[in-house]
Amino acid sequence: MMRLLNICVIAALIVAAVYVYKIKFESTRKAEQVARLRLDIRREHDAMAELRAQWSKLDAPVRIQELARRHLTLRMIESRQFDQLDNLPERPPDLVPPDSPDPIGNLLESRDVPTGSIAAPRDGAAPRDGAAPRDGVASRNGK
Amino acid sequence: MTAIDTTHDLAPEPAATATKVSTELSTGLSWRRSLVRTLLYGRNVDRAGKTKARLGLAILVFALGYSVIAGRLIMFAVLPDSHMGRRGSTQDAVATARPDLLDRFGEILATDVRAPSLFAEPNRIIDVDEATELLSAVLPDLDAVELRERLASKRHFVWLKRDITPKQRAEIYRLGLPGIGFLPENKRVYPNGAEASHLVGHVNIDNQGIAGIEKWIDNRGLADLHRAGFGIDREQEPIRLGVDLRVQHALHDELIAARDKFKADAAAGIVLDVRSGEIVSMVSVPDYNPNNPREALEPSRINRLTTGVYEMGSTFKALTIAMALDSGKVTLNSSFDARGSLHYGHFNITDYHAQNRVLTVPEIFTYSSNIGAAKIALNQGVENHKAFLSKVGQLDRLRTELPESAEPIVPRQWGELNTVTIAYGHGLSVAPLQSVMGVAAIVNGGYLIPPTFLKRSPAEARAIARRVVKPETSSAMRYLMRLNAEKGTATKADVNGFYVGGKTGTAEKVINGHYSKHRLMTDFMAVLPADDPHFLVLIMLDEPQPTAETHGFATSGWNAAPVTARVITRIAPLLGLEPRFDLPTADRLILAAAKEAR
Repeated sequence: MMRLLNICVIAALIVAAVYVYKIKFESTRKAEQVARLRLDIRREHDAMAELRAQWSKLDAPVRIQELARRHLTLRMIESRQFDQLDNLPERPPDLVPPDSPDPIGNLLESRDVPTGSIAAPRDGAAPRDGAAPRDGVASRNGK
Repeated sequence: MTAIDTTHDLAPEPAATATKVSTELSTGLSWRRSLVRTLLYGRNVDRAGKTKARLGLAILVFALGYSVIAGRLIMFAVLPDSHMGRRGSTQDAVATARPDLLDRFGEILATDVRAPSLFAEPNRIIDVDEATELLSAVLPDLDAVELRERLASKRHFVWLKRDITPKQRAEIYRLGLPGIGFLPENKRVYPNGAEASHLVGHVNIDNQGIAGIEKWIDNRGLADLHRAGFGIDREQEPIRLGVDLRVQHALHDELIAARDKFKADAAAGIVLDVRSGEIVSMVSVPDYNPNNPREALEPSRINRLTTGVYEMGSTFKALTIAMALDSGKVTLNSSFDARGSLHYGHFNITDYHAQNRVLTVPEIFTYSSNIGAAKIALNQGVENHKAFLSKVGQLDRLRTELPESAEPIVPRQWGELNTVTIAYGHGLSVAPLQSVMGVAAIVNGGYLIPPTFLKRSPAEARAIARRVVKPETSSAMRYLMRLNAEKGTATKADVNGFYVGGKTGTAEKVINGHYSKHRLMTDFMAVLPADDPHFLVLIMLDEPQPTAETHGFATSGWNAAPVTARVITRIAPLLGLEPRFDLPTADRLILAAAKEAR
């Protein structure tokens, strides 16, 4: 009886020891993983900070201005080029009824198809002066 | 030895005598045993007692051992992170991190990047000459003699070079020198270079703030945090400033252009939000690149707006007239005799745009009449004048977040003559930021708001604001400033669409104790829009030279005012101001509206 009990206890002891060892091993591994992840996070943070610093250097107004000056023909904006939304002209009426089965056909049939090109001067009227092609913003007072 | 030998001899005995009679065996054995015992332990020893003591000792040793193990286990359980977690970050110990500085829209003004630094442990270096030679091959800018000295010293730790490139790091690593190592350090970078230098300030090699907002951060307790060993992590709340980087750039760009154009010694500008007291932009050129802080040591590169004090010239007339209007003794229809010149002691005060007639208050303002302003101030009395200037913060040192500030130079004996000259901005030197604060209080409805470099809402500003003039005075002053842009000295600053109001100021600089006619300090104070002010712009030029374009003039209306116009054209859209056209004139828009409100 005693012997059986002893064997049981020893067996339990071995099992417990193995289990504790396993937990210990696992926890060490987890801790290492945590440390590694922390390091990774820190590295990522550093990399992010560096990229952000680089980005803001590339995005610095002084650099953008210099690039624009060198490669583009843009001019400084003037206060006349701003306008309010209220002054936007009404949307032109639809050339084609919205539920038409053949919109392209309808377009071809209709007379004045709007194009992007500047209209030829009608009745000998000169084209609008000073309408530089770049002045995309229509100005109320320019008309 | 003996014991082992005896047992060895004994070993075959039982086998050999196994067949002998048992009695013989027992007597023979006991004799031998007693012999062994005597040889092993000596005579007359209590073996049982000794065994007990030994067992006790063994139990004690094992108990101690296990209790130590148990104790450690408990420690691990209670402090789960103390060991493994921190191991990765011990390297951070020298790398003090600082919070990022952002502009009002979150653009980066200053940030930390990680850069390796090279150090040596001289006591572990084997061959100093070899190390010196190899290192100076990789880092040619390192002084070889000094390097050798450092490596040959008996110290345990020396920095060799802070902030090396990753490439250099890899090369040095490949040299395989013992006693040479790297530590990652935080390095402060300013992506926008010189643009916000005076505002942001800079740090020293150990990442401690030594100027500007950087120093303010340290004074706020970051330095203590670092000394205590905390604050080494990157996770610090970034500090958001009130400055707008785009406006800052535009102002910087225009001021550099203006300084070149008028060959001025220096140019400076401020954009202040008069509703919240935020400084949206502040530039003083020449400035320096905070990435190279050595430049900051040159005295010509000081921040003229907070560190310098100047006689502001005619912009002070705005304060003089505001005082008079606020007292109620003077109205916009009052008139003062501005004929001839005003003699005071050995001073002879004349007008630059002399009219030689009786001028009304608006005329005094638009012709910028010194005599008129002096008479208005005299009419108020010395004490009232002094009290008013003190109330609008012109006589005390203005403290902002920036550590740099200057005490205004106030005359010790304030007599009538002082009042006369101070009325038109001579004889009292103030920091330009201070005068901006004063004028802002006069145009924004009468609230004196201490300016700040941090982000602040108008509501917060209202809570700390102090009323210094009546709202009616404020609207009258706005009318005067707008009128000045419509038909006074400030016409060149009137940007179509933004309803600018303004006041010019030209001060003669004191050279060898005398006012010089040719070395001028010009400034321009613009309020936009004048009917409902949101921003105040100050542009200042130090010793601008006359050019062909200005017909030989060097006064404010010819240089500071057009520069202001250029600045406003650029920054107004950025500040979110909508251009409005075909607005009525000042008397109808501002004065009539103010009357209706009453």
